[in-house]
Amino acid sequence: MEIQKIEVAKNPEIEDAIELPKKRSHDEVEDCEEQQQQQEAQEDEKNRVEEEDELRNLLLSDIGDLPISPPSATQVNFVTYFITDFTKSGHDQYIYRHANGLCVIGLAPTHIAFKDEGGITNIDFNVGKSDRSVLKVSGKRKKNALRSESNTALCKVSTAKDTYIVRCCVKGSLLEVNDRLIKQPQLLNASADREGYIAIIMPRPTDWTKNKESLITLEEYKEKKELSL
Amino acid sequence: MSDETKLASGDSVCLPNGLVSHGDSRTRRVYETARSLHSGAVKDLLSLGVCERCIFRLIPVEAFDSDVSSVSTSTLRSWLESGDDETGPLESSCSRICIVCLGILQFVFSDAKQKLVKTDTSSDYAARITELVKQDRHEFDSFGLEVSVPSIIIENERAVLSYLKGKYSNEGWLQIKKISVKDALKILVLDPLRASLGAKSDSSTFHIRLIYSRASDGAQGASEKTHESKRRKTDAENGSNCISENSFEKVYEPCLLSVHCNKMPIFFSGRYFKYSRNVSQSRWIIDDERMGEASVEEILGGNILPACLGDSYKFHAAGREDIDVRMLGSGRPFLIEIQNSRQCPSEQSLKEVEEKINNSEKKLVGVKDLRCVGSQCWAMMREGEAEKQKQYAALVWISRPLEDKDLNSISSLIELKILQKTPVRVLHRRSPLDREKIIHWMKVEKIKGNSHYFLLHLCTQAGTYIKEFVHGDLGRTTPSMGSILGCRAEIIQLDVTDVKMGDS
Repeated sequence: MEIQKIEVAKNPEIEDAIELPKKRSHDEVEDCEEQQQQQEAQEDEKNRVEEEDELRNLLLSDIGDLPISPPSATQVNFVTYFITDFTKSGHDQYIYRHANGLCVIGLAPTHIAFKDEGGITNIDFNVGKSDRSVLKVSGKRKKNALRSESNTALCKVSTAKDTYIVRCCVKGSLLEVNDRLIKQPQLLNASADREGYIAIIMPRPTDWTKNKESLITLEEYKEKKELSL
Repeated sequence: MSDETKLASGDSVCLPNGLVSHGDSRTRRVYETARSLHSGAVKDLLSLGVCERCIFRLIPVEAFDSDVSSVSTSTLRSWLESGDDETGPLESSCSRICIVCLGILQFVFSDAKQKLVKTDTSSDYAARITELVKQDRHEFDSFGLEVSVPSIIIENERAVLSYLKGKYSNEGWLQIKKISVKDALKILVLDPLRASLGAKSDSSTFHIRLIYSRASDGAQGASEKTHESKRRKTDAENGSNCISENSFEKVYEPCLLSVHCNKMPIFFSGRYFKYSRNVSQSRWIIDDERMGEASVEEILGGNILPACLGDSYKFHAAGREDIDVRMLGSGRPFLIEIQNSRQCPSEQSLKEVEEKINNSEKKLVGVKDLRCVGSQCWAMMREGEAEKQKQYAALVWISRPLEDKDLNSISSLIELKILQKTPVRVLHRRSPLDREKIIHWMKVEKIKGNSHYFLLHLCTQAGTYIKEFVHGDLGRTTPSMGSILGCRAEIIQLDVTDVKMGDS
């Protein structure tokens, strides 16, 4: 694949031209020195251009075949699981698990709330004993995180028709809830699988191993719901 | 001493009272000191089994100084013993270990092979130490001397002193502060060691540590020790008139001596390049399996360490990059710290190390400007940290075709402030915080024949997560490339093209 060199990106700090010292008359020695300086300046410029070319070659040489639609960051970095009909029929959620153990929880495309006319209009994190959106987790040790069970309530999502409870599905420490949803609940309708995620939970390794048994993979999910996603 | 005949040192002259004295003025001073010590105390200590130099230490008339080192142990003994004319010569107890210093000041010790080493003079002792130091093959022209001795010595000395206090309570020499065994040894051997090693002594970067330890280590249980020390304390308070057998430990074996040489760490600085997308910066092992095929740390350290004949290395870099990100352009500054190096490599050998790394078959890592630096290296790393800017080139994909107006809308963003929540991929080990970062400038480079991909060149503040800025990290980084262009954006690959430091 040929790379076009239009719109060459240049570091704006590097001058386009180097000012050469003006040549003075008189002393031959002075002239000689200045010629040397000129030559050195030209050499430096040449070296710099060479280095930049080398860099550009390196940058571009690595670009192999470019697929039309590459896998998304979520697909590359996370393993996707689903849980269906959790505590209630139609309550389908996804769990993206990162290699570092963290789980991102959200509504699966087949969640019953999406079937209502107008989609989701509101989300409320004030469920159970506390408002999940005000928890302040701090530090590397994740102090003050809510210790949740898999059926601990995360939030309530409301449509024109009804209100549904979303639960954690994963036992662990609740690190974060997506409070952007409070002001922009339409994120859930538009991209529930990315910007519309609901929460991030950190399970203990032993808890995850047990939890995993109740989850299904993407393939199994597709089959179950007889969908072509 | 009547005869003031000038004699060469080493000559002996027979004096009227049957004593033998060297002509050297130093030894004469020592002789006079020996004669001036309280004879009763000397006799007591000798019969207890205290060695000659300890007697000089414990019953001081004047400061214990290096003159004492010029006299051999046997000569000292003869001077001390003959001070007492009444009783006959005491049984030759030269062969017994001093109860206080455990043979240390008698220049007696066991070596690593458990063989007994006896030296009579401090210069003989220094010669033996020099042998042991040379085994380690360190190159040095100055050294600092350190001594460590078993703790039992302090306790035994305390017992002896309290006995003396009890018996000679009115003597003035009791009040003079006693020099410790450690300091006494240093005073005795420093000059001979300097001569024998051919080096100056100062608190330098190279230390020779003489470690004396008890031959039968761990012989006593901890509880026994505390009981003993409690008993000894009461004895000291009472100032008992005789030394009870229980108040100190009789040690019959000389100490084990091991000589440790340690050089303070030396540092090498340079810039490294990472050409592979499968090489981590530092050794990365999960569940006994290595991640990536190599690490920058091991390639650099593993090549520099043998050139220094050091024990180990530590790698420090000005920032880091992911395993799948290449480090190109001007390279990233780093420091290699070498522990206990035996020699400082020449410029030539450093060049050879550079060439070896740069010309290696696999071309995973490159290095330049490798040189030895002093302790100012840390300042160098810290320098420009606040202003540190990094430059990157990212291959970006977007879900809609790139338009010409996009190029302008991106390059017009100067000093763009972004807010990044701690990325999910590091959230497990970092604090959940909102970090404000600045993107100084951005430029788009189109790729011919493909309107969904482009090269994004950008310059950002240190600490910015570039990958998250491109794909948005589930909306936790705002603005992101996707939000600026109003579509989905993904990062395919990333290269670091410049790490700006104050010096370049």
